[in-house]
Amino acid sequence: MAERRSKPKNQAATTAAAPATPPEVVLPVLAEKVGVYICHCGGNISDVVDVDKVATEAAGLDGVAVARHIMFMCSDEGQKAIVDDIQALGLDRVVVAACTPKLHEATFRRVLQRGGMNPYLFLPANIREQASWAHPHSPKAATEKASALVRAAVAKAQMLEPLEKVRVAAVHRALVIGGGVAGLRAALDLARQGLGVTLVEKSPFLGGRTTQLHTVFPTEDPARLLVHRLIAEVKAQPNLTILTETEVVALTGYVGDFTVTLKTTPRGVNAELADRQAAIAACPISVANEFDDGISKRRAIYQPYPGSEPDLPAIDWASCTRCGDCVTAAGGRGIDLKSDPIETTIETGAIVVATGFDHYEPRVGEYGYATSPRILTLPQVHRMLDPEGPTGGRLEIDGRVPRSIAMIHCVGSRQIEDVDEPGPDGKLHEYCSRVCCTATLQAANQIRQKYPKTAVYDLYRDIRTYGRDQEPYYVDASKAGVVFMRFANDARPTVELSDGADFPLKVTVTDTLTFGTEIEVPVDLVILSVGVMPRDVTGLIEMTHAPVGADGFLLEVHPKLRPVESAIPGLLLAGTVQAPMDVTESTSAASAAAAKVTALLAGDHVEMEPFVAKVDPSLCDGCGLCLDACRYAGAIAMQEVEIEEGVLEKRAYVNPVACKGCGACVPSCPVSALDVAGWEIDQYKAMIDAITAEPLTAGARS
Amino acid sequence: MAGTPTETQATRMLVVATLLCSYPGIDATGQAHMEYPPNTYVIPTPDPVMFPESFYLHCFEKGIDGILIASCGTDSPYEGSYEQLAARIPKVYAQMKARGISIRRLKLTAICSVCTKAFLKEVSDMEAVMAELGPVSGEMTAVTA
Ligand code: SF4
Ligand code: SF4
Ligand code: SF4
Repeated sequence: MAERRSKPKNQAATTAAAPATPPEVVLPVLAEKVGVYICHCGGNISDVVDVDKVATEAAGLDGVAVARHIMFMCSDEGQKAIVDDIQALGLDRVVVAACTPKLHEATFRRVLQRGGMNPYLFLPANIREQASWAHPHSPKAATEKASALVRAAVAKAQMLEPLEKVRVAAVHRALVIGGGVAGLRAALDLARQGLGVTLVEKSPFLGGRTTQLHTVFPTEDPARLLVHRLIAEVKAQPNLTILTETEVVALTGYVGDFTVTLKTTPRGVNAELADRQAAIAACPISVANEFDDGISKRRAIYQPYPGSEPDLPAIDWASCTRCGDCVTAAGGRGIDLKSDPIETTIETGAIVVATGFDHYEPRVGEYGYATSPRILTLPQVHRMLDPEGPTGGRLEIDGRVPRSIAMIHCVGSRQIEDVDEPGPDGKLHEYCSRVCCTATLQAANQIRQKYPKTAVYDLYRDIRTYGRDQEPYYVDASKAGVVFMRFANDARPTVELSDGADFPLKVTVTDTLTFGTEIEVPVDLVILSVGVMPRDVTGLIEMTHAPVGADGFLLEVHPKLRPVESAIPGLLLAGTVQAPMDVTESTSAASAAAAKVTALLAGDHVEMEPFVAKVDPSLCDGCGLCLDACRYAGAIAMQEVEIEEGVLEKRAYVNPVACKGCGACVPSCPVSALDVAGWEIDQYKAMIDAITAEPLTAGARS
Repeated sequence: MAGTPTETQATRMLVVATLLCSYPGIDATGQAHMEYPPNTYVIPTPDPVMFPESFYLHCFEKGIDGILIASCGTDSPYEGSYEQLAARIPKVYAQMKARGISIRRLKLTAICSVCTKAFLKEVSDMEAVMAELGPVSGEMTAVTA
């Protein structure tokens, strides 16, 4: 057997098992029966790369037992060739040089399993996307490159060790954080699949922001009816627990087995409350009503709308003074002013985060915001247009219907450095909020229908009615006489108060639709189409270590390859916690997240890829530097190891369930005791040695 | 085409590509048949944060003439890893300087899974650096001689 290039590594040391005595160092060896298979891909590769030459060169490499080129490696014929060779020649590693591993890595791992080999002894070499397709006019150079990539793959394959998937016993319960439309959808889908579900909502009421709307586009369903139908289905699930006024305050564990501490604040009101109106009316406190986006007031004991879920008032402990007036009005029954929270702990196999979004709140003076009661945000106008809202559906200012309205798009969205000032949070919001164009046009159409004498001016940068059945809102607005004006990316409309003039506000815009004409629009009302902002979920981020994008939304691992999955195994993202979405998209994302949780927790165990950190205890001296490099709680820690009889010393050990396999710990180790299994530094060095082993001859495009 | 190696050029570029961002982006470049020089070798990694300074030095010693670290940037799926990676680069530069290696031969970039044009530009830029500086062996010999 050939001598192995790397220092010894001990696979057993990667598990979270009890401290072990340092194992005997076994002299390492390089695998010497590598099977190499070069794919023609029906000409996709072989029209450019000389596959015969690549196979011949591979056959001459140390440790290669067989090298073949085959028309389609992924075909039955190709797969059978590997299985046959494993059995006839006793192959100990397999390299397939073909298309990108993203396509067939899993296929070939299964082939090895069928042949009786550990699936992780397979290694791909990408000679289609990264050779024949990238260098179609340089066949000699592409062939030379393909050979180099095969040499590198063989060199690494020779050093691969068998790996086993990491397995954790699965708790068949899911926690859904957030009781808005996405959280409700996810909870319902999960419960219907037979999982136990705990749904927690921070506020006293379910339904989230959707309940603040009268209708939802593009179906124009009554919003609260829609949400309450969903809630009724959720409540009908026997295996589902709903906890309002509940927050996650601690979280430990890992996929399959998280331990979560929940803090529930008492509602203050129970079903014995007979006359809720009297109790609410007795409360002397008056604060801005968040349900109406601040355009109305509410008491400290309140209910956002009749028939809310739960259909019971709640006490806002932050504004309640404990005066007891409501208790007196209620005859001492049904209200309890004790507000001490209680903590409970639950075990859960997976977590769906559906914490929703916030609206952008403009700076004071941004488009005149907060300098006049005639400058409102679109969410505030939604409340006014709602027949069950604070104005009974009347859009009136000082008792009069506006004669003329300007609606301004992209407020707090698509912000540009040096053009826009950062928002009140000090950040520029560079992304498109996606939902506000259609929402603005929906409101414009409602206003034109309800008040045909009111002129509506729509000031936009781009109209992005991107979704199915959304473009008709734009067409309808045009037909309904909404006047469109378009401002350039680097020019914003201005809003000024015009005291004493016939119209109290003046909006000035340089309109690119009329070739840059500066237009002054006198109006009674300005509506700011504010964007979608990431909600502050700092506590949850700190507890879970879920990555956050530069825009402040939680990141999914990959929008196409692994949508709705966060990088934390077992933590799924549903709805606007991850990006601006409309109700349709939020519920789709929620269903996707629920489906992934269901698949994850389907068996008795959760299985994860074995590419996690590993410590060589014969090298580790217990310095502890790696602990500082790792950002994931519990992934790497110190434990006492008996290095010789009666002598205990500290050594690093990796918990393979909590480790994410990022490798941040690897370079922190001064004695190179750490590696990520399957991605070891010595394996990389062997690849580099192999790539550079032969001089470049083709060089040019030849 | 991002750049064309000349007949006399015998330089090699290494691209360290992340499994979730740049590797699919480089695949997409090939899928679109957007050409770049064949002396470019891509090695995949979960995250380039794993490489110690010595790895880059090893590459240069073995005759890799330019290295592009095609990271995920701040969109890394691993918390804080980009910041840790970025903090290591000056240390690699210091070791490169000590060995007489131009620090222009190593560049940290962020390439996403659809960043085909950005990838071509980075390759083209590094190709130009390698053409200007020539093989790294010349530099290292000059210092150690
Ligand atoms: S959806 Fe429309 S209004 Fe909203 S940010 Fe995007 S472009 Fe602007
Ligand atoms: S730094 Fe990354 S690879 Fe290392 S132990 Fe922590 S999670 Fe695992
Ligand atoms: S940094 Fe290396 S030597 Fe120090 S404790 Fe961690 S693994 Fe052991």
